[in-house]
Amino acid sequence: MSGRPASPHTLTSAEEPVVFVVDDDASMREALSNLFRSVGLRVEVFGSAHEFLQSTLPNVASCLILDIRLPRQSGLDFQAVLAKADIRIPIIFMTGHGDIPMTVRAMKAGAVDFLTKPFRDQDMLDAVTTAIERDRVSRDEARVLSGLHARFATLTPREREVMALVTAGLMNKQIAAEIGIAEITVKIHRGHIMRKMAAKSLPDLVRMAEMLGIGPASGRQQT
Amino acid sequence: MMRNQTMKSWRSAEQWLLGSMVLALAMAAFIWLVLGPAPAAPAYLTAVVLLIAALLASLIMMLRVGTTRRQMEAVLHGRARAEQHAIEALRHSEAQWKEVFEHNPVMYFMVDAAGIVLSVNTFGAAQLGYSVSELLGQSVLKVFPAEERHVAQSKVAICLENIGQTHSWEICKVRKDGSSLWVRENAKAVRRLDNQLIVLIACEDVTERKLAEDALRQSEMYLAEAQRLSRTGSYGLRTASGEIVWSEETFRIFEFERAPSVRLDAVLQRVHPDDRVRVQQTIDRASRDGKDFAHGYRLLMPDGSVKHVHATAHAVTDAAGDVEFVGAVTDVSFRKRAESELHEAQANLAHVTRVTALGELAASIAHEVNQPLAAVVTNAAACLRWLDREPANLKEARGTLQSIINDGNRAGEVIQRVRAFVNKTADQKAPLHINEVVNEVISLVQHELFSHRVALRLELPPALPPVLADRIQLQQVILNLVINGIEAMQPVKDRPRELVIRTRLDEASQVLVTVSDSGIGVAAENADRLFDAFFTTKSSGMGMGLSICRSIVSAHGGRLSASGNAGPGATFQFTLPLHREDST
Repeated sequence: MSGRPASPHTLTSAEEPVVFVVDDDASMREALSNLFRSVGLRVEVFGSAHEFLQSTLPNVASCLILDIRLPRQSGLDFQAVLAKADIRIPIIFMTGHGDIPMTVRAMKAGAVDFLTKPFRDQDMLDAVTTAIERDRVSRDEARVLSGLHARFATLTPREREVMALVTAGLMNKQIAAEIGIAEITVKIHRGHIMRKMAAKSLPDLVRMAEMLGIGPASGRQQT
Repeated sequence: MMRNQTMKSWRSAEQWLLGSMVLALAMAAFIWLVLGPAPAAPAYLTAVVLLIAALLASLIMMLRVGTTRRQMEAVLHGRARAEQHAIEALRHSEAQWKEVFEHNPVMYFMVDAAGIVLSVNTFGAAQLGYSVSELLGQSVLKVFPAEERHVAQSKVAICLENIGQTHSWEICKVRKDGSSLWVRENAKAVRRLDNQLIVLIACEDVTERKLAEDALRQSEMYLAEAQRLSRTGSYGLRTASGEIVWSEETFRIFEFERAPSVRLDAVLQRVHPDDRVRVQQTIDRASRDGKDFAHGYRLLMPDGSVKHVHATAHAVTDAAGDVEFVGAVTDVSFRKRAESELHEAQANLAHVTRVTALGELAASIAHEVNQPLAAVVTNAAACLRWLDREPANLKEARGTLQSIINDGNRAGEVIQRVRAFVNKTADQKAPLHINEVVNEVISLVQHELFSHRVALRLELPPALPPVLADRIQLQQVILNLVINGIEAMQPVKDRPRELVIRTRLDEASQVLVTVSDSGIGVAAENADRLFDAFFTTKSSGMGMGLSICRSIVSAHGGRLSASGNAGPGATFQFTLPLHREDST
């Protein structure tokens, strides 16, 4: 199951994005494939949610176009399955007849858009563009975050402790008093922290700490 | 007797007359002699001599007369005896004839021109419950019931007009006690010696024969009436001569003029031209084999109307060894018409329920049309984009257009299918593959399955032999069973809702279709009524669905039944006989 879209390894956002289509209707699959190819988008089609889950997906910015009405498992149920498996791919729903409760449920669960068949091609393409952009951003964020995590992991427990206090806005002296070490030692830790975390400035480090969810209360949360 | 007495008295008178004449002469001579003037004179002697001579002559005369009389008496006596014999013989004969007349078991009447009974024999009177004297001098009409009297009068009048001619007729008489009897009367008017015109009538009691005849006539009437009521005529067909004898009802059915017999050729002309050859063949074959036969055919009447008849015949061999058929022919037009009306009513009802079912499937159908339409629209947009490229990608554009054509056709097919389904078509049985029909139905209920969260499993083995069926009607049956299955699973929350459709060839080489659900099942108390019209356990619905399904399946020669599953749910199944080349 390696290479899932959202897995935080070896991401290369430069790669061509992919549109995944899951629809049990072959003509609709082919039509969508045709449409996306005509605008130069890479597209992969699946006849069922199961097929989609079974396949090895390329690790690129992507989105999923899902027919609400799927045999055995509805699109909405599949959306929940994906969320549970922490597969965060933007979803565009299609339906033969949109009803409001279904739309609301889909949108609440984070769907990018909800299109009623037959839809305007531009609406679909716009939705796909939005979704891919959203995925690219979230993939970038995920990549940044995972870099941070990796760097944060190189800090010693003491350095993590110091980083939490530094980013909480405490002066070196206060930190030294807080954890009972010499002020000079605090300074050395800070230097290591800035280098290991590749922080350009204190505000930069503070933002990193926020992203990592590091607060003054504990120096060891959120690995 | 009288003559005998007369003769005796005459004989004694004669004797007395002769005796007294002799005595008178003798007295006169004696007196003259005694008292005469000259008793001794010669003249006296002469006179004495003359007297004696006269006496002698008288005596001789008396003897002669006596002898003659005896002779005469002897003759007369002989004659009387002969006469006596003749009279005796006559009397005997008369008694004998009287005996015959009185007791011969024939009623004899003799009436005068006015109809007054002059004579009647004892038997005749007794037969009518009267004594002879009660009838003599009475009007003969007394022995006729009121309604027959004028008949009797007119018959007698005819006899009187044709004197000497015998006439006969049958008539009802009434006894003294009021009971009636039928008689055959032979009558003749004759003129008596005294010139009186009389009518002699001899009657014979024919009541028994008449009753038997009546019973026979009654029986024939009953038979004719029964034939008329049942529209069944009888016939006899002599194959050797091609001659047919018909009952009254048969004439009525064929609308032929009544005749003692009809010709087979003429009858065949009345048979509908489309059936004629078949009828001829059936009769020919039966005649050849001398076997019973039964067949149905149509008659084309001169007014252009058509009758449906059914004929059966039993073969018998006549004295000459020829085959003869005794049969019955029934006019079944009424039944045929009722059957076709029933069939039409069922078709109408089936149509209504089909339309109703389709109404319920509207969302499914809309989806089925929308799906290819969405593909068409998307492809069309893609096609434009292929063309708008620099340079235009014609290969892709062409491929896309081909997809558009395919999808457009697909949408059209759905609409065709729906239209066919709601069309009111007559039976169109054709060989078809059951799996195709199942798939056509499934294509209409996809949405229904989805919206009710029902998983569908199809077990349709390929290469099943075709069945002879009406596609639309079969679709209706399967659709109904599928919808029923879906609805039966609606209350189910704790287990998967699964509908399984299977087709296979059963042990009897019939195609078997089963539709199983995992729904609420069939309550035992409802199992028998499931297929009754207007029986439903649903809040909506007419309860016609399964009833119609059963009649459709029956009309195809199959059987629809329901059973509970070993697990939850119910299974509906129906059989269909295979299509055989020779079955058409």
